[in-house]
Amino acid sequence: MTTYVLRRILLFVPTLWVIATLSFFIVRLAPGGPFQSEKEIPAAARAQLMRTYGLDRPLPEQYVRFLANAARGDFGVSYRYPQRQVREIVSAGFRVSAELGGWALLLAVLAGVPLGVLAAVKRNRLADHAVMGLALAGVSVPNFVLAPLLVLIFALTLYWLPPALWNGPASRVLPVIALSLMYVAFIARLARAGMLEVLGQDFVRTARAKGLAEPAVIARHALPLGVLPVVSFLGPAAARVVMGSIVIEQVFAIPGLGRQLVGAAFNRDYTLVLGIVLFYAALLLVLNLLVDLAYAKLDPRVELS
Amino acid sequence: MTPLRSARTLRMLATLALAGTLGACAPHTGTTLATHGRRWFGTISPPRANVLRFNLGAEPELIDPGVTSGQTESRVSRILFEGLTSSDPQTLQPIPGQAYRWEISADGLTYVFHLRPGLVWSDGRPLGAEDFLWSWRRALAPRSASRAAGLLYPIVNAERYNRGELDDSTQVGLAAPDDSTFVVRLRAPTPYFLFLTSYTTFLPVPRHAIETWGRTWSAPGHIVSNGPFLLKVHRQNERLEFARNPRFWDAGNVRLDGIVAYPVDDLSTCVNLYKSGSVDWNPSGYIPSPFLPLMREYSDYVTGEYQGTYFYSFNVTRKPFDDVRVRRALNLAIDREAIARDLLKGTRRAWGRITPSGYPGYEGPPQIGYEPGAARRLLAEAGYPGGRGFPKFSILFNTSEDHRRIAEAVQAMWKRELNVPVELLNMEWGTVQQATVALRYDVTRRSWIGDYLDPNSFLGILRTGDGNNRTGWSDPRYDALLDAAARELDAARRFRLLAQAEKIALDAAVFIPIYHYSTHELVKPYVRGIYHTALDVHPLTRVWIDRDWREHEAIVAAPASRAGRHEARGAPGAPAPSDGRPPAGGAWRR
Repeated sequence: MTTYVLRRILLFVPTLWVIATLSFFIVRLAPGGPFQSEKEIPAAARAQLMRTYGLDRPLPEQYVRFLANAARGDFGVSYRYPQRQVREIVSAGFRVSAELGGWALLLAVLAGVPLGVLAAVKRNRLADHAVMGLALAGVSVPNFVLAPLLVLIFALTLYWLPPALWNGPASRVLPVIALSLMYVAFIARLARAGMLEVLGQDFVRTARAKGLAEPAVIARHALPLGVLPVVSFLGPAAARVVMGSIVIEQVFAIPGLGRQLVGAAFNRDYTLVLGIVLFYAALLLVLNLLVDLAYAKLDPRVELS
Repeated sequence: MTPLRSARTLRMLATLALAGTLGACAPHTGTTLATHGRRWFGTISPPRANVLRFNLGAEPELIDPGVTSGQTESRVSRILFEGLTSSDPQTLQPIPGQAYRWEISADGLTYVFHLRPGLVWSDGRPLGAEDFLWSWRRALAPRSASRAAGLLYPIVNAERYNRGELDDSTQVGLAAPDDSTFVVRLRAPTPYFLFLTSYTTFLPVPRHAIETWGRTWSAPGHIVSNGPFLLKVHRQNERLEFARNPRFWDAGNVRLDGIVAYPVDDLSTCVNLYKSGSVDWNPSGYIPSPFLPLMREYSDYVTGEYQGTYFYSFNVTRKPFDDVRVRRALNLAIDREAIARDLLKGTRRAWGRITPSGYPGYEGPPQIGYEPGAARRLLAEAGYPGGRGFPKFSILFNTSEDHRRIAEAVQAMWKRELNVPVELLNMEWGTVQQATVALRYDVTRRSWIGDYLDPNSFLGILRTGDGNNRTGWSDPRYDALLDAAARELDAARRFRLLAQAEKIALDAAVFIPIYHYSTHELVKPYVRGIYHTALDVHPLTRVWIDRDWREHEAIVAAPASRAGRHEARGAPGAPAPSDGRPPAGGAWRR
């Protein structure tokens, strides 16, 4: 187990290096640069800025310097917001996105798993059709439609909740619902499929034959194996959801990492783009490892090798 | 809030489609309120605290008045700092700021500013002429990389020092003979110089804080300022909170306890926040275009002319645009009125000149009109009768629904009137900027917003070699007229020279003016002291929240008083004069 984890961690290094190298050259392929505006910046000012950030050096030299600094976790300051370190921006944005994503994922699990189990247990009955219909709607309605709809109803018509901003508990409600609905739908479908598979297996039949009550059969025997597909979905989903949803953060003016990444790309803020991309890559690697470990814990048939 | 529920439901359903594509804020009237027969967009309850909340539109790049130039940064800088002069909130005319009086020499070249006695920074340190001297020199220093250093160029040797041709900053025409006297020497009379002294680049910055903290000098806890408010909280992309500065020289007239600015960049979200009462003011530029015509029925919608023009420019280094007849033909074939009326629904004015309106005393040349017959003749003279043989070319524009629609209209007009083959080239903003600067385009969309209230702010960009020229066009006669105007002391004669220069540029048809910008803001009826201004600059020093606004509404048409008591003129909801002219203060509502 320890060897396995160590080996995986060692593999992080070349993976991150490849991502860093590709990202470094791709952001520079984009036309324009970080210091452009509708109104011309004086040539002297532009030259000074290029010198300050080492952008006047040959590209290979910039690349080597970037790698050396990145290895120490130092991405320098943002070109767009020169009073802030990339590290600060990423950690502030991530805290917000992670909170938003965490709530959304929690809601998705708390709502999705029971709904999926209910649908499996009541297979082909009204409850099953209702849950699956809802799930289909949840998967089909994109969040750039759902979020404005929620705002229109709850913020601009009923005036119950604020339409945007990151400003106290009330402001969290709509974005969390908007972000989680798709995940509720996915998890419900996965939980249903997983449970159906397990409920048909011999050991469940044995448990029933031993006279166990149905709720106990479902909760104690079927559920741990039935939710395995949900667990394996949760890893990548968590990575996606805590990185921030660009649409949700835009519509609700949430200061998360997704909004930062889009802004940084448009502003040609090289340091910030690279910082966010590498942070995301590292996070994805760690989360995938955690999912594999959790999987091994839940399913004795899985062997780590 | 007790509107008809069934009507509300119907309207809500009717707006769903729009909301889905534009963000959920279609202005349905189910929740609008009316008072005294006037309708308001969204809630009209003043905030609990004595605080003004507004949309800032974007995260400021940095808080450093000497270095930045953007509108967002300027807005923040003016809340925190005050220059030698300040601006009248209605007319933007210079009024005493940190300087309580000044003298201008007879030749217009020397300005002597006298600072108020007892000025202090927000940390209690005395503030004197030396602070202005240091701040202006810092803005000019090449290593500061100030974006707007060019505005200081009227000062003797400022340009040479900024360009690195001169190392000694004491050679710049600035002096502080004593603590309360600041002397500025100009290389040529600059009639608009007192407008500049309230501009961001001319604000004083705290040397002691900058030397102590370096890069992070303007972070909350580090920042020291001299304006009406202090920076308390700054969370990136989330909020900036300001509190009243008790050490400001005019603190007694600052009536707000604080200000909160939200850097929200999504336009629909801006409108949502305003409608729901999360913000009290939605400044210009933060309403999605399709909503503008719908806003006219609300009394909290304030619109007026803005010092900006929207135009296309030719790259005259490419054939066939090196031929002035071709440029004129394409210019005359555009029906600007149709674009303004049908496409923009009358929310902006068709415009056929480079300089915008709003310079009292400036008579610009006649506007370029719509003359398809003349356009066809010119094109034939240039060797393309009926458009035959005209090479395929493109209109380059950055991604935006409005830009696309206008480009499509222009394309259709050119095709219809001149039969020339045009294609549309849509690129992302940064790419367009680069292509424009490098002259890698045929025709491109551009716009220009004035920095100060003078035609020079516009005409200067077409000077030979100006970084904002971006057309390849150059005419020594034009440059000479601008130079002559810069030396001219008599205002009327100076304007005549500038008008002659503008006529040369219009005759050369380097630009294709399309429309005149307008400001479109939303101001809650209880906010007093925010007016429409031609530069979209809004000093917030004396803005206040009027909790009894409903009672005051009845007397809103009464004669105006000074800011600080009931604002009537230009207060949100002031009725337009019956003759349709804008009332004093310039605001009119449609």
